Amino acid sequence: MVVGDVTTGTDVLIIGAGPGGYVAAIRAGQLDLDVTLVEKEAYGGTCLNHGCIPSKALISATDVAHDASTAEEMGIHADPAVDLAGMVSWKDDVVEQLTSGVEKLCKANGVNLVEGRAEFAGENTVRVAHAGEGQGSETIEFEHAIVATGSRPMEIPNFEFDGEHIISSREALALDAVPESLVVVGAGYIGMELSTVFAKLGTDVTVVEMLDSVLPAYEDDVARVVKNRAEELGIDFYFGEGASEWEESGDGITVKTETEDGDISEFGAEKALVAVGREPVTDTLNLDAIGLATDEGGFLETDDRARTDVENVFAVGDVAGEPMLAHKGMKEGEVAVEVIAGEPSALDYQSVPAAVFTDPEIGTVGMTEEEAEEAGFSTVVGEMPMRASGRALTLGESDGFVRVVADDDAGFILGAQIVAPEASEMIAELGLAVEMGATLEDVAATIHTHPTLGEAVMEAVENARDRAIHTLNR
Amino acid sequence: MVREFELPDVGEGVAEGEIVDWLVEEGDAVEEDQPVAEVETDKAVVDVPSPVDGSVQEIHAEAGEMVPVGTVIITFAEEGDEATSTEEPTETDATTEESAATGDVETTAEGTADEETPTASGRVFAAPSARRLARELGVDIGSIDGSGPGGRVSEHDVQAAADDATGTDEEESDSPEPAATRVEDSSGANAGSTDSAGGGAAQTSSTGQPSASGSASSGAMAGESADRERTLAAPATRKLAEDSGIDIDAVPTDEERDGEAFVTPAAVESYAEAQQAAQDADRKALAGARDEERIPYRGVRRTIGQQMAESKYTAPHVTHHDEVDVTALVEARTDLKELADEQEISLSYMPFVMKACVAALREFPMVNSMLDEEAEEIVQKKYYNIGVATATDAGLMVPVVEDADRKNMLQLASEMNELVEKARERTISRDEMQGGTFTITNVGAIGGEYATPIVNHPEVAILALGAIKEKPRVVDGEIVPRKVMTLSLSIDHRVIDGAIAAQFTNRVEEFLQNPQRLLLEA
Repeated sequence: MVVGDVTTGTDVLIIGAGPGGYVAAIRAGQLDLDVTLVEKEAYGGTCLNHGCIPSKALISATDVAHDASTAEEMGIHADPAVDLAGMVSWKDDVVEQLTSGVEKLCKANGVNLVEGRAEFAGENTVRVAHAGEGQGSETIEFEHAIVATGSRPMEIPNFEFDGEHIISSREALALDAVPESLVVVGAGYIGMELSTVFAKLGTDVTVVEMLDSVLPAYEDDVARVVKNRAEELGIDFYFGEGASEWEESGDGITVKTETEDGDISEFGAEKALVAVGREPVTDTLNLDAIGLATDEGGFLETDDRARTDVENVFAVGDVAGEPMLAHKGMKEGEVAVEVIAGEPSALDYQSVPAAVFTDPEIGTVGMTEEEAEEAGFSTVVGEMPMRASGRALTLGESDGFVRVVADDDAGFILGAQIVAPEASEMIAELGLAVEMGATLEDVAATIHTHPTLGEAVMEAVENARDRAIHTLNR
Repeated sequence: MVREFELPDVGEGVAEGEIVDWLVEEGDAVEEDQPVAEVETDKAVVDVPSPVDGSVQEIHAEAGEMVPVGTVIITFAEEGDEATSTEEPTETDATTEESAATGDVETTAEGTADEETPTASGRVFAAPSARRLARELGVDIGSIDGSGPGGRVSEHDVQAAADDATGTDEEESDSPEPAATRVEDSSGANAGSTDSAGGGAAQTSSTGQPSASGSASSGAMAGESADRERTLAAPATRKLAEDSGIDIDAVPTDEERDGEAFVTPAAVESYAEAQQAAQDADRKALAGARDEERIPYRGVRRTIGQQMAESKYTAPHVTHHDEVDVTALVEARTDLKELADEQEISLSYMPFVMKACVAALREFPMVNSMLDEEAEEIVQKKYYNIGVATATDAGLMVPVVEDADRKNMLQLASEMNELVEKARERTISRDEMQGGTFTITNVGAIGGEYATPIVNHPEVAILALGAIKEKPRVVDGEIVPRKVMTLSLSIDHRVIDGAIAAQFTNRVEEFLQNPQRLLLEA
């Protein structure tokens, strides 16, 4: 690495090597642009290092143990011993494999990798401070910049993350021992995924949520399936309560919560996991230097080309706004670079699918019935309960359903909500349907493999047409 | 605030309109609801009002231009701020300087896609590949009527819309191009080859569809001639060039295969047309022009045409002709006309005919019906809305007198006169020309004996009246001069048989021959 302040130049400068940034960098390389990718910490960003990938690794590993120990019905009697340190180390290997893969891909595509923290220094320059004492810094001139700095877990007052008592998802994914008890603040998707993991590992989990339900972003009947299962796993829920303060007590802590009316409750636990959302990282960028400002939430506003208010500066991924999902950032990264390269690319997708890796999983895409009605469609809805799916029964997981929302006139599929085992996989088919403008008939007429969970999609679509075979058409 | 104003839907189901005239100029101050343009739809001319108080910043469509509903025709600067428009062009500058990797089509693509107009409920059903093509070709995908199920827009639809928009008459070929053959030059067909069919050395080059953008731009430059040594083209293309009397090495193209110029059939055609046009122009200049005028086929003219074609090609027509002695009717009308004049109502024969028709329609409900082909049902109308075909300067219009059965003769007369006047002045609304159940056309007003009128689809019958003439008739064994009118009834034979047509006509005649019988009709 270069020591001292030198200046180099690049066509495309990308700040942040998370899913938005590294995808942009690789595509830029493919398009023969001179591209520089600056990363302060680890290739792959939050997703690969502290988010999607490690959490999915732990969820899967936990399920192996939990499923084995709860399979008496199938004639299996086991009591697996879980070594969390071992599990975390396996997870780290997975992460390492992926992040080094990203690095190799970048290099193979001719991406210029720079380690350090970048901030804007002028209209066409960034200053990159290299990590570590005396490592110096460098200035890079750019034609175009893509901000892909991602997001960080949000804190709430009195609950600064200390890595020991008060932890964020990041630390929760790297614990070396299973906590005996855990208070989880926030019943959004991160809170619910991790609550499920720890409950399955034997932790006594209490979830405190300010709003009045789990997964407030999802429809009631979808969230209810997850909540019921969570309660079966022994998770306690307290709604309408916000965490107000905490103190150490004995080996653990006591978390105080307060309702709107001022009623105070206390929960004792070994640790508290705060998962109340994520905030964009834009405060480290010195945006003033390029004359850019964020909106109230700290996000950078972009148009349908991922371009900010400054002509040659683009923003992709979490910094560019909700939904903060890796795959949305990846798409934006591609589009930003293609626009820079002069291609007629645009963010014209119909929907961003989303998945929650709870038990069972949730997968959604497009509009809910209510949203479609609000958008002026007259809708028709079809459902297939998983208990009518042969494959779900053979998996021993028959909770949940597939729901498809379509336009009643032409039959265009407008959206879908799935809460079921492997919902995150099943939603892909309906994502394609929504994006292609497929009709109910198109999906219904497609032969689905038997016996699979995916058949439930076909059945739900047929149900919307009053032609389902394996359920009664009401 | 700059306010872009799209051509609104000025009438039920109107897809496009012609800007007849702008009533404002750029820079003019306007008030809300002040008319800014006259737009002619397929039936009427309407005023388009300003949606804001402010000033006219830019007019995007010229008078005489045909624009689809939803197209931005004018931009207003709303009161309070005037000139903000100058910022927009910088948008496109960016692409030019960003052109690190690619060519030229994208500049326009970016500009146009930014102006994408939202559609109803904001959703266009189209595959991502079709949406990308639309951006590439600079087509607003929201304005395309898709040909897929429920109106889904396919790539083909996008391509067709783009071709329409640019006015290039390139043929979109669905079949893959045949393998191109490499030939030394156009005259080199005998260059040591035994392959007589291909006519060349037949070294197959890599094939593939010419890219859309490529063929579009090759059309644009079709006017100039190229002068190449050698040209790649499919055998069929060479044949086309030969048949058109064109040297294929002269056909301009910017497509290449294996580093050689490649010519498509479309390029040959547009070049041939350009050559032809040039020759025509030359010939005209030399020989003193054979004068022709090309009149745009649109607006009312086109609507009439479409209506007629649809009716004639849908409904098998049969026309029944007859004569009727209307001497008594002429007398009755002469008497009543004076009374009507006192009420300042001009009483023609038409209200009598309308009354006679309504009475006959009651008796023969099939004649007052329509065919719902989709439902496979014949719909008999229990109401009697009589259309009156009217010649106007713009063409044929058919104002409709509603509920003719419930109106007296004077009401019919005054209402019809009013509608006909409106049609001639072109102030008539679409509503006033819709919902007819039977039509009468008074050809005789202009002259002539018999006609074979075209049914006003989806109605199933139309009655044409000839002129009333004095003719010799035999009454009680003697030849006497009588007033005689001819009738021509065209029917949709799918619904009405000839016998019914004849019976219906007979019934109408009875009323016209003995107008006092109309007194028994309500």
